[in-house]
Amino acid sequence: MNSSKLVSELEKIVGDNYVSEEPEITFLYHYDFITAEPEGKCDIAIMPGSAEEVQEIVKIANKNKIPLVPWVSGINFGSIATPRRGGIVVDMRRLNKVLEVNEDDMYAVIEGGITWADLKGYLDAHHPDLKAGVTWSPPGTGVVPSCLCYGMFDLGMIGGTGAEFINGLEVVLGSGELVKVGSCALSNLWYGRQPLPDLAGLFIGWEGTTGIVTKMAIKLWPKLPFRTDYISMAQTMEEGVPMMLKLSKAGLGIIDLCIINLGWAQSLFCFDSKNLAIDPIELGLADFFGIITTQAYTEEQHNAQCKAIEEICSEFNVTPLTADIQVKNFPENLLGIMHHISPSTGGQTPIHFWGCWNFSRGGGGEWIGSYCSTRNILKYYQLSRKVCIKYDNPPQFYSRLMMGGHYCVARTNINFNKNDPEEIQKARDCLKEIHEAVQNIDGVVMYKPPTWAVEHNKNKTLPATNTLIKKIKKLLDPNDIMNPGQGIEGE
Amino acid sequence: MKVNKITEKKESNFLPGKGITKITTVPNQQELERNKELEYYKDIFYQCGKCGTCRTAYHENGWPRICPSGEFGKFEAYYLGGKNLLTWAISTDQLKWTENLAKIFYKCSVCLACTQQCQIPEIHHYAGEWLMAMREEAVRQGYGPMPEQVKYTEHVMKENNPYMEKHKDRTNWLPSYIKLSPNAKLAYFIGCTTSYREQEVAIATSEILNSLDIEFRILDDERCCGSPVYMTGQTDKAKAIAEENIKIFKEAGIEKIITSCAGCYRTLKDTYPNKYGLDHGIEIFHLPEFLLDKMKNGELKFNKSLNMKITYHDPCHIGRHMGIYEPPREVLKDIPGIELIEMNRNRQNAWCCGSGGGVRSAFKNLSAFAADERILEAKETKAEAIVSCCPFCLNQFKTNIKNNEIMAFDLSELVRKAL
Repeated sequence: MNSSKLVSELEKIVGDNYVSEEPEITFLYHYDFITAEPEGKCDIAIMPGSAEEVQEIVKIANKNKIPLVPWVSGINFGSIATPRRGGIVVDMRRLNKVLEVNEDDMYAVIEGGITWADLKGYLDAHHPDLKAGVTWSPPGTGVVPSCLCYGMFDLGMIGGTGAEFINGLEVVLGSGELVKVGSCALSNLWYGRQPLPDLAGLFIGWEGTTGIVTKMAIKLWPKLPFRTDYISMAQTMEEGVPMMLKLSKAGLGIIDLCIINLGWAQSLFCFDSKNLAIDPIELGLADFFGIITTQAYTEEQHNAQCKAIEEICSEFNVTPLTADIQVKNFPENLLGIMHHISPSTGGQTPIHFWGCWNFSRGGGGEWIGSYCSTRNILKYYQLSRKVCIKYDNPPQFYSRLMMGGHYCVARTNINFNKNDPEEIQKARDCLKEIHEAVQNIDGVVMYKPPTWAVEHNKNKTLPATNTLIKKIKKLLDPNDIMNPGQGIEGE
Repeated sequence: MKVNKITEKKESNFLPGKGITKITTVPNQQELERNKELEYYKDIFYQCGKCGTCRTAYHENGWPRICPSGEFGKFEAYYLGGKNLLTWAISTDQLKWTENLAKIFYKCSVCLACTQQCQIPEIHHYAGEWLMAMREEAVRQGYGPMPEQVKYTEHVMKENNPYMEKHKDRTNWLPSYIKLSPNAKLAYFIGCTTSYREQEVAIATSEILNSLDIEFRILDDERCCGSPVYMTGQTDKAKAIAEENIKIFKEAGIEKIITSCAGCYRTLKDTYPNKYGLDHGIEIFHLPEFLLDKMKNGELKFNKSLNMKITYHDPCHIGRHMGIYEPPREVLKDIPGIELIEMNRNRQNAWCCGSGGGVRSAFKNLSAFAADERILEAKETKAEAIVSCCPFCLNQFKTNIKNNEIMAFDLSELVRKAL
C-alpha cells in the first residue's frame, strides 16, 4: 500500500484531523528528545479516539505489515518509544479519560493514553480521599506505559512497581483482536488479576511489542490524615543505606523510602555545570540523602511511628528533619525543585524535569536503571560512581526500596547537551561502561532497557527461555509489527 | 539538628491561582533579554524534553489542562513542548519552513499559559519571545501571516482598523452628552474593538470619567494601536503604525493615556518601548488600575447595589502578558452587591478566551473551541455573568454564548451601573 492510500485509509478510521505524515508533526515522534540513543523514523502519526479505532488501525497495519509504535509521551530513559523501523506511531493521548473509580475496591479504570497529571487531577477533583502514586517523571507522562514498563512511584514501599498496581488490562493484539485480562475478563469489576492465569504478564515488561493497551485498572490508595516526609542526611552512603534497610523492615506506616546521593540532590537543587561538586566525597560533603514517608490513621499512631523512625535513625547517628524544615537549611537560591518536595498536597507534588536537566543545560539525560537485591545497593552505587567520575560526570544515584523492602531500584543518571554530538558520544560511552560494571552484580536487571542492553540480557538467559519469549511474541504479534526492534526480544 | 514535630503546620507551596510558578534563580542562571530575534535564543530551545508539564496547571483544586492550542490540535506540535523542538529543528536545519509549519505557530493565541507551567527557568520566562520570533520568521520566509490576517492588515494600513470599517466612523458611538476637554493632556484611547464592536464599553468608560470629573479627550485621529499586526509577526508594519501613533500623541500634547482595552494597553505600554524601542514617555493606564487608584483615594464611590453573582475572566494581554491580576478584582469586589466567584482556572492559570494572536480571524474553530470551554467553566461557577476588562474577550464571549446561558459584561459597564 502506498503512503497516500494508507493515510487515506487511516483518515477513514479517525478523521483527517488525527492522522498526519507532515514532517512538522512526525518530527516530534522520531526521537524522544531526551536520551543519547539514536534517532528513529516516524512515517505517520495517528491519534485514535477509541479502542475500536485502535483495532482498525492495527488490522490495517497487520495486513500490510507496517510497524506500529504505541506512544503516550515518548519520554523514557531507554528510548523504547522511538520507532526503530519507521511506520505508524499510535499516539494514544486522545484516550485520556478516567472511566470509573471503584471506591470499595480502590481502583480506577483508565484509558490507555491518560497522563499522571490527568489522573491526579481527576482524583483530586472527584475522589479526594484516594490517590494514585506520583512518579518522579514529569506529570505529562503516561500512566499505562509507566506501569507496563515497571516504572515506580511514591507508593513503592507498599505496592511495589507500577506493574504490581495493575488490576487488569484491555489490549488490542498485533492481529487486531481485543482481549481482556484480570477479573474484568469475567465480570464488570476490575479488582485484580487473581485467580485466573495471569495473562497480564503477556503485556507487562514487553515494551509495547505484544499489544496496545486501551484500558487498564490501577490500584488506588487511601489518603490517610497524618503524614510526615523526612529528609535525612548522612556523610556517606555507607552510613545512610544500612539505616534505610533497617527502616524498610520496621513497618511503621512507611509508604516510601528513597535514597539519593548528593549528585542527584544537586540536580534537584538546580546546580548547573559550573557549580557542581563532581566528587562530593573528595570534597568532604554529605553524600547521603534519605527520604522517608510515613502515614497513619490517627495522630497517636502517627506520633508513635515518627518516634520509632527517629529512634532507628539515631542508631545510625542520623537526625531526620521533616522535608519542609530540612529544605530551609539550604540557601534560598539553591532550593530549586526542593520547594516541590515539601509535602504541601500530601506529598504528591509534581517532580518536574527541570531540576534533573539543569546540569548540562542541554536537555539530555539517560540512565542505567535496574531492579536489584537490596543487599547490593551500595555495590551498585560504588561501581557506577567510579565510572561517572572517570567521565567527569557527577554521579547521580537514586534507589528506592520496594514492596516492604523485598527488593529495590538502583539507577545512575547521566546528563548531557543534546545539541552537541561529542557530548552525546561521551554520554553513550559512559552509560555503556556503567552498564558493563553493574551487570556483573548478581541480581541486577535493567528496566526500560535500550536495544543494546536487551542483547546483554539475552546472553544471560537460558536458551529455552529465549525460545519461549520468541514463541509468545510470534503468537501475539505474528507479523512482528508491534514496536519492532524494541523490547525483550530486541533486534 | 532540631527534630521538628509532626504537628507543625506545613506551609503551602501552591499559591491560590498561581500554581507552581515560582522559579528560584539557580547559580549562573542565564539572564536573557526579551524581544530579540530567533538566533538570540537558539541555545535554549533544546533544553525542552517535551515533558508535557506545559499542558497542565498545578494547583490544589485539581490539575486542569491549560493550552487551548494543544487541546484543540492534539498533536504534540500544538503544545509548547512541540513548538520549542520545532523551533530547535528550524534553527538547526533539521526541518525547513513550510506552510504547515507556519500554520502550527499561528494556531496559537499566544496566551502564554504554557510558559507559566514550565519549570525550566529560561523557557518559563522567555518562551513567549520565540513564539513571537517564529511568527516574525514565518513572515520573512513568506509563509505568514495567514490569508485572513493579510486581509485585515491591509485594512489597518488603509482605514486604521482591522474590522473592515471606515476610519471616519470610528467615533460614531460618541453620544453628544459626553463632556470632552479638547485641550486635555489625558487621552482616552478607545481601540478598534471598542470603537466598532463593543461601543457600550466606550460609552460606559466615558461616563465614568465624566462622573469623576476627569478632563480627558478623544483623539480626532485615533488609529489602531497595531496589536493585531504585531501579534501576527508583522513587526515592521506594526512599528510603522506605532511611530505614526506616537506622532499623533505628541502633536496633541498627550501626557497620559487611559485605555479600556487590554490589547491596546499591552501594546502602548510594553510593545512600543520594549519591542520597537520607541520610548514615548507617555503614562499608560488600563482602566481598572486607574479606577482602583481613584477608589483608594476616595474619589470613586459606588452608590448603587448590583446584587449579582459574577465571575472574572483574566484577559491574557493584561494578565500573563503584563502581570495585572488583582486591580480588576479589587474594583469588582468593591461594588456593592457583587459576589465574585472564581473559575477553577484563574489568574496565571486562566484559560484563554481564544480570540487573541490572530486566531479568531484565521482559525475560527479553534477560537470557538477555546471560548466554549471558558463559557462552560464560567457557567460551572453558577455566576450570572462573566466579566472581563478586554473588549476582545467580551466580544468573543458574546459571540459564543448560546441561548443567553450566561451574561457577559465589561468591568466598565458594571462600574457605571453602580455609580
